[in-house]
Amino acid sequence: MIAAILRVQWLSSRLGASRSEVFDLITGILWYGFWTVAAIAAGVLLSHASGAMVGSVLPTGMLLVFCYWQFVPVLSASMGAGLDLRKLMAYPLPHRYLFLIELLLRLSSGAEMVLILAGGAVGLAANPSYGGVAALPRITSPLLLYILFNVLGASGMRSLVERIMTRRKVRELAALILALVWGLPRIFFRTGSFTKTLADPASPLQRIGYPWAAVARTMLGESWISMLWLALWAAAALVFACLQFERTLRYDALAMQATPANGRPSAWASAMERFYRLPGWFLPDPLAGIAEKELRSLARTPRFRMVFVMGFTFGLMVWFPSMIGRQGLQSAPSPYFLPTVSLYALTLLGQGTYWNCFGFDRGASALYFVAPQPIRQTLAGKNVAALLFIYLEVLILTIVTAILRVVPGWGSIIETLVVVGICSLYMLALGNLSSVNYPRALVPERATQGARGQARFQGLIFLFYPITVLPVLMAYLARYAFDSQVAFALVLGIAAIIGGALYRIAMESAVSTAQRRREAILTELSRN
Amino acid sequence: MPSPAILVHGLKKVYGAKAAVDGVDLEVPRGSFFGFLGPNGAGKSTTIRILTGLIPADGGTIEILGFRMPQDELEIKRRIGLVPDESLLFDRLTGAEFLEFVGRMYGLDRAMAITRAGRLLDLFEVQAGRKLIGEYSKGMRKRVAMAASLIHHPELFLMDEPFEGVDAVGARLMKDILLDQVARGATIFLTSHVLEVVERLCDRAAIIHNGKIVTCGTLAELRSGGESLEDAFVRVVGAERQGELLDWL
Repeated sequence: MIAAILRVQWLSSRLGASRSEVFDLITGILWYGFWTVAAIAAGVLLSHASGAMVGSVLPTGMLLVFCYWQFVPVLSASMGAGLDLRKLMAYPLPHRYLFLIELLLRLSSGAEMVLILAGGAVGLAANPSYGGVAALPRITSPLLLYILFNVLGASGMRSLVERIMTRRKVRELAALILALVWGLPRIFFRTGSFTKTLADPASPLQRIGYPWAAVARTMLGESWISMLWLALWAAAALVFACLQFERTLRYDALAMQATPANGRPSAWASAMERFYRLPGWFLPDPLAGIAEKELRSLARTPRFRMVFVMGFTFGLMVWFPSMIGRQGLQSAPSPYFLPTVSLYALTLLGQGTYWNCFGFDRGASALYFVAPQPIRQTLAGKNVAALLFIYLEVLILTIVTAILRVVPGWGSIIETLVVVGICSLYMLALGNLSSVNYPRALVPERATQGARGQARFQGLIFLFYPITVLPVLMAYLARYAFDSQVAFALVLGIAAIIGGALYRIAMESAVSTAQRRREAILTELSRN
Repeated sequence: MPSPAILVHGLKKVYGAKAAVDGVDLEVPRGSFFGFLGPNGAGKSTTIRILTGLIPADGGTIEILGFRMPQDELEIKRRIGLVPDESLLFDRLTGAEFLEFVGRMYGLDRAMAITRAGRLLDLFEVQAGRKLIGEYSKGMRKRVAMAASLIHHPELFLMDEPFEGVDAVGARLMKDILLDQVARGATIFLTSHVLEVVERLCDRAAIIHNGKIVTCGTLAELRSGGESLEDAFVRVVGAERQGELLDWL
């Protein structure tokens, strides 16, 4: 029975010959290639490290593995492969079988971390201070238990988050809390208290025996009691995972998402209606109609709303700690803070808007090919909507950073607006090409379900991000090298001209590709 | 004499080694209610998708309302209303918002699109308020899809299984509206596997099987010899063989 389900899971995700599947294969090779290099680096580092260094680095590394495994699939809004329980529930399958398969899927969605842990284990075994190859059983057994702990934790976390994210008006709050959870350790790191407690054997973290500390101490052969602690943590994770899985099985997501049919529009709904109508003020139809439709649809799409909230919360939490010194906030606000968080938000918004602009429309995208407007208008309308969301995000970030007093002044705000605009040209240009060449159907109702290869795709965007913003980086480099605002403006101007030309060329190419590949695009978008 | 609503010669569409549409010739007169029949996988939906410009043909010529496809694609699209088998509805819009959007795509100004959207929703008895289309039942979705196909007052309707999943009341309502459209001079080209629907509504029909038109004409011509449309259908698609008995059943 399990074999049959696994086979179906494999058949559902197997690679074929279609263009997006080949793209999945390429991104997969690049993604796992990157992590293999990282695993080798971890191995080399541990094989040559001194005892003190290993004692300090290993718990921290284990904590990072834990954070990645538990939070990154959630924060990248792509939870990895998942069972379609709605389909499987119709069959007489014992729940324990489904749970077992769910665990295997969680293991597969954390394969990067397995690589890193394997690299680290080999490195540690190669370090003469830790017993060499003979110590492999001592190193690997707690490691396997730690992997089990993480897999169970990830399963419970996935079930819990998936349910929370389907609840109306709760999911955005949940995204905010997750961002805070993610950001707090970085603040501790910056202020030094976190590393101090990790390095200090008498610190509460070490004494209580947190799982990352317990696995590290057991691997180093320091304490077998830690192994017991680790087993207790794994048992707790098992209970957590089982409970959450069972609750998800009995959860009615549709009931939680239902819109009250006859309620009177609230003041918030009226304000949103004015926002949706914004393109109609400065654009003609059908461009305005498409942009308005896009604003409405995206604003009501759980997945996009979550990413939007993450754009200004997670972005701030990632970069804000950099502003904090060991004595608190830096005295002089950084001129780079607002542009940095804004560009980060621009990247994050990409997955729901410009990188795969037909994704949420899925099969309904056929309407754009049936209606008598050129496809160029559709792409342009979707780009306008994306820009409005991007600048709304920048506006929120500007207000928040102004409240936090980390913006130097109006100059920085204007600079941010210009820089984001120019970067958007590049992003939208590449996004239009990506949308027609590699379209993927996304499920708007589910806040966390990604398309096939979505997590890898998202990861690669982050990896290649510096390349796509290179022209703007060149402008900053010019300002730094020549200490001149004129040089900055000049290079920025050239970047804008090139960006405009690139957008125009990319649009022509995307339109021609959309006409040529319309059948393949619609087939891909009609997939469940 | 006006050109036919649809005039197709040698239409061909090949997927791998299989011809989904294999040299189809078809003429649909203006003002007719035309039924396009065929067993599952015969090529009905593929033909409609080609006629709407959703997929390109691999061969043949297409003329719709006197315009040639794909040369005059936009002119054709302005004049047709489409109800496809797959939903073209945007799930995160309300019914009213979707109809307004479609109206604007077809060149109506916003005020007129809003007005017509409201009237169509009344006509199709879809009063879902702020409820999103994604939460609609299948029948409600079909009603909205049909309302959307009417908003720009098209001359030709292309409909792929328009009554599938619709309850009896909804189906009667939709049929009445379609008959009214034909009475006003519109042409309707619909596919259906429910032969009673075709018998009751259509004045002409064609049967497609394995990508080829096997018969075409008025309903009276199709039912020659006093047989029912179902008998005629089974006869021409050659599906009269007895089902094999399953000894374990």
